[in-house]
Amino acid sequence: MKLQVPLVITFLVGVFMAVQFFVPHEVGQGGYEMLLKWARLVGAFALVLGIGSLWRTHGDKIRRRRPDWPYSVVALVSFVVMVVLGIVYGHGEHTGFDWVFRHIQVPLDATMFALLAFFVASAAFRTFRARSVEATLLLVTALVVMLGRVPIGELLYHRMPQVSEWIMTVPTVAGKRGILLGVALGAAATALRIILGIERSHLGGAGGSGEGE
Amino acid sequence: MIVCGMDRSTVAGGALAPRTHHYARAEGSLRHGQRFRLCTALAALAICASAWAAPPGAPTQVKAVDNPEDDRGTQMIVSWEAPTKRQRPWGTYWAGYQVFYAPVGRERRPGPLAPPESTEVVAACFKPWPWRPYNTQVAVVYLPTPALAVTDASGAIAPSGAHFVFSDTIGPVQPLALWYNAKRTNVLVMMLLYSAIVLITIHYATRRAEDMYIRPIAGLEAVNDAIGRATEMGKPILYISGLSGISDVATIAAMLILGHLARRTARYETQIIVPCQDPLVMAAEREIVRDAYLEAGKPQAFRPEDIYYVTDSQFGYVAAVDGVMMRERPAACFYMGYFYAEALILAETGNAAGAIQIAGTDADTQLPFFITACDYTLMGEELYAASAYLSRQPLLVAQLRGQDLGKILIAAVLLVGTAITTLATFWPEVAQRFLDWFNV
Repeated sequence: MKLQVPLVITFLVGVFMAVQFFVPHEVGQGGYEMLLKWARLVGAFALVLGIGSLWRTHGDKIRRRRPDWPYSVVALVSFVVMVVLGIVYGHGEHTGFDWVFRHIQVPLDATMFALLAFFVASAAFRTFRARSVEATLLLVTALVVMLGRVPIGELLYHRMPQVSEWIMTVPTVAGKRGILLGVALGAAATALRIILGIERSHLGGAGGSGEGE
Repeated sequence: MIVCGMDRSTVAGGALAPRTHHYARAEGSLRHGQRFRLCTALAALAICASAWAAPPGAPTQVKAVDNPEDDRGTQMIVSWEAPTKRQRPWGTYWAGYQVFYAPVGRERRPGPLAPPESTEVVAACFKPWPWRPYNTQVAVVYLPTPALAVTDASGAIAPSGAHFVFSDTIGPVQPLALWYNAKRTNVLVMMLLYSAIVLITIHYATRRAEDMYIRPIAGLEAVNDAIGRATEMGKPILYISGLSGISDVATIAAMLILGHLARRTARYETQIIVPCQDPLVMAAEREIVRDAYLEAGKPQAFRPEDIYYVTDSQFGYVAAVDGVMMRERPAACFYMGYFYAEALILAETGNAAGAIQIAGTDADTQLPFFITACDYTLMGEELYAASAYLSRQPLLVAQLRGQDLGKILIAAVLLVGTAITTLATFWPEVAQRFLDWFNV
């Protein structure tokens, strides 16, 4: 029963979602929208689980005085402050919630995002060391593309921007489309085997596949 | 297309003309003062008669037709002709129109509002199921003060004191809905063809699946090495299943891989840490790992607190996971699923933490970053093949053959398409028809 009920639900919902794509009638689209609403409701319930998990994880860390436990205090206090500000004073413009969001969370997010610039540099340095033919090819291609996008590239060779553009629009797009075709087929096959109950690993012990070595 | 319309009675101005002519003939026999009084009285009578005979400012020529652009069958285009200004009730201002509709045999309900200058509105409040036709009316909304009619939170017309003048009821009319979108026939054909290929392959190839050759995938070959490394070092494994929700196939593929991985880590009682960005994914992954440990006969080794929710904020999540990497120093990091800009930040931090890193994603924009920063990367479809590769189940392995046949089919279509496009110089119409068939 623990195996069959999820399999039947998966099959029915999977077939409905595939069929409704071809049925513009209100019966198909209304059903689709209803399922999306249900998904949002399930998500809202799951959020409760998530918040519970957050409190358990950090509460346990504080209780056991694990390394860096004061950061968990900051996390929980921040959570409570945001919830109180949002529920008591609302979350529209010019509220405390909005202020904290714009002046604390957004700059913190931006800081994390800015780290990307340094990581791109360090990753490029490691990769572009010409230790093999492939790495050398990558290095030369990257140099051409980068030079084609700055004025000095055109100064070095007047057709550098065109070469750079050709690399971006022909070989790059060809490779990208090859990957995307494989992704589409793989995703469709995965969906098919889950809908038909061929793949059961996600059902854990109830339907878990035998493990090969 | 269903069309239904009806004219409202018009002012009988023509009937008054002969009588006017009759009084004109008597003009010569009356004195000037009498003539003036008589004309004034006649004019007042004519105005009163005209006001009495005219409709009370209602829209005329009301029509309701199916909206051809709406395949759902929930919309109708309601059109009308505006009443003339002199038909406005005394002391009121013209504030707009409102469509009313009612399923046959039911009470009418208010529909959309339209401004005074409009003569047409798309009414989107109909339901084609269970196929009940509708009667429709258009009312002019007059307000005691000059303002535009709007509906308030309760659905009533604001400001208050609105006076409605209804047109005749037209109908019954029913919007048309389509049961099949013919424009998507190409998708249906390809979907059925590919599904048939996969299913037939599974049916015929399952018995020979054990002898079937699967191209070695370095990233998946390295999974055992990564687990062995973590076990020997006594350090945890960090598993991240992307930043998209549970409805994404990439996330489901990542969850399938986690199941296989957890079965192996359970045997060696190696700790596996799974920080989640989506609470639904967390709940599902916790169950998957729990069942994997049960299946491996090591339920006591399962630590539910190691699969936890962090936050749904993208960079908040990255900051937390980076912190885990630098504090716990995992021996191996797995990044499976769909990733966005955080891919490189995670992979570079994992590299700095000295972990062996295996990534797998179908996000083509993030693949270069993973290839650069990770030891092994599963590219695109390899992410979806991983479950079959790791389990070696005959059914799943046979399905890989079906996937390959699908690729051959697509390659054949690409070759034919290339040839036809090349020959388009000679037969542009044929080429265009072929290309049109693939448009969605």
